[in-house]
Amino acid sequence: MSLISKLLRKNTSLARIAGFVLSNFIGLAIISGGVQFYEDARSLWTSDDSFVKSDFLVINKKVTASNLWGDSGTGFTDSEIADIRRQPWVRKVGGFTSTDYSVKASVDQGGRGLSTMLFFESVPDDFVDAGKDEWNFREGDAVVPVVISKDYLALYNFGFASSAGLPQISENIMSSVPLTLVLTSEDGSRTRRMQGRIVGYSSRLNTILVPESFMRWSNSVLGRGNGDSSPSRLIIDVSSPGDVAIKEYLESHDLETAGDKSGSSASFLLKIVTGIVLGVGGVITLLSFFILLLSMSLLMEKNRDKLHSLLMLGFTLSSVASPYVRIVVTASLFAGVLAAGGVCLLRSAYIGDLTGLGAGSGNVLPGVVTAMALTAVIIIFNVFAVKRKVKDSWR
Amino acid sequence: MIDKIERICLEGMLPRVFVSEEIPPSDVWKVSLTFRRGMRYLVEAASGGGKSSMCSYIYGSRNDYEGRLMFDATDVSELGIGEWQNLRRMNLAYLPQELSLFPELTAMQNIELKNGLTGHVEKGRIEEWLHVLGIDSRRDYPVGRMSIGQQQRVGIIRSLCQPFDFILLDEPVSHLDEENNRKASEIICGEADRQGAGVISTSVGNPLVMENPVVLRL
Repeated sequence: MSLISKLLRKNTSLARIAGFVLSNFIGLAIISGGVQFYEDARSLWTSDDSFVKSDFLVINKKVTASNLWGDSGTGFTDSEIADIRRQPWVRKVGGFTSTDYSVKASVDQGGRGLSTMLFFESVPDDFVDAGKDEWNFREGDAVVPVVISKDYLALYNFGFASSAGLPQISENIMSSVPLTLVLTSEDGSRTRRMQGRIVGYSSRLNTILVPESFMRWSNSVLGRGNGDSSPSRLIIDVSSPGDVAIKEYLESHDLETAGDKSGSSASFLLKIVTGIVLGVGGVITLLSFFILLLSMSLLMEKNRDKLHSLLMLGFTLSSVASPYVRIVVTASLFAGVLAAGGVCLLRSAYIGDLTGLGAGSGNVLPGVVTAMALTAVIIIFNVFAVKRKVKDSWR
Repeated sequence: MIDKIERICLEGMLPRVFVSEEIPPSDVWKVSLTFRRGMRYLVEAASGGGKSSMCSYIYGSRNDYEGRLMFDATDVSELGIGEWQNLRRMNLAYLPQELSLFPELTAMQNIELKNGLTGHVEKGRIEEWLHVLGIDSRRDYPVGRMSIGQQQRVGIIRSLCQPFDFILLDEPVSHLDEENNRKASEIICGEADRQGAGVISTSVGNPLVMENPVVLRL
């Protein structure tokens, strides 16, 4: 140890430094652990629908005796759509378009054929987040990309396949199975044969979705050509999914939302809980920051005469500050690395359960980066405070 | 950046505490005074006359004065901390009255602290000075356990461990006997001559023995 360090580290209280390391470790571990858990758990509600923008609602009119037999129907008129578009919580509105022809899909599964009648729907492409390359159809393409509801696969696997003695299939297998589609116009005069490829599953869009471009083309080729009928379901991009105004509007207009709503309320809850955890961690980290600030300040105050004498000898400010800077950097880095290690441990404890729920495909980077970034901030502020204190003892 | 200081000029300088007081005629305060490189100065004063203040002003550790202090053409009020620190390593040597030694370090460590910063004096030369001043047997003693006279000799050696244009000595030999005063003076003036530097020494009664110094009364 150099003579300067020997002089200036006198009166260093190991207990105070240890107190800082401990409290800083706890604070950082809580913050970065919270961030890490949020990042891991978030995918439970978002990754399913990664190809559809997150904050949307699908709404339709309630089916009642009057609109079933009356002349109003369940379609939305232009004025109703315009009214919805005027609501403050609406960013964008799109209608669902249905096929104007019949669809038969068949799968050749190990020699045994399976075929079913189907339907397609499409929504405007700006509601779909998938890459333009994957979610596209041009006239002449032989393959149509399809997104199906997760529920359909579950219905097949757990309802139909087990009772009919057919093998269960996973999402991956399903995606690799070629789907043969036979599209027939209503009068049976026109037929198209195509390949379908499942590019994704949605737990929130309760439909079988094809690209808008395909829908336009196929309806023009196979449809009756009686123009656009009014859509019976609307997809709405909303600015804040938890807004009470949305609920009130839907109730007063006899509308209902389709798809899984629990996702958004659960993710809202996750946000609240994470916020509380981050708040607690933040307070502890802030307190530990002040512990370090005060103990360095106290230490330098005790050694003020020596600081002054060294500066009188002509030592530079930074060489006199360096023993204290080293204490700050070492203690903070130690706490930061401990916290990062703690996050890794914590994650390995819960990641098994999360993976079982279908989330946690990410890595430990968010937690580690948070711990290190906060450590850097603590170091920068304390080094700044040390340098200012040295400057103060110059005269 | 100041390379060499040829002249230190005090122009109408007066410690602020004296501003409202009636002070006796002085060779230093409220006059125009120039210290030149290569010259010897002895500043004599009664206790409380402000000689330590004068040293502190020139060394930049205090600035509570009226008037101007110039290093050649540079007004020192324009100097930043970095420049002062550089001057303290390269141009101005200073032995404060309170010595400012580190009591927990040994005599040699105190000296090496400064010499390690400047790398100015060879180790053999330091040993020789310790020997001449009669404290070589105390070189590895903590300074805090030495007598004031011994500490003064350690302080003198430490103040010489750097290049300088001026050396400021605030009552450097107040606790030394005549013999050690003469030896210390030989070493200090020898170093000053070698570098062509000026010596400014203060005293309240036991002055550093120098040949033909300019005597100034505070």
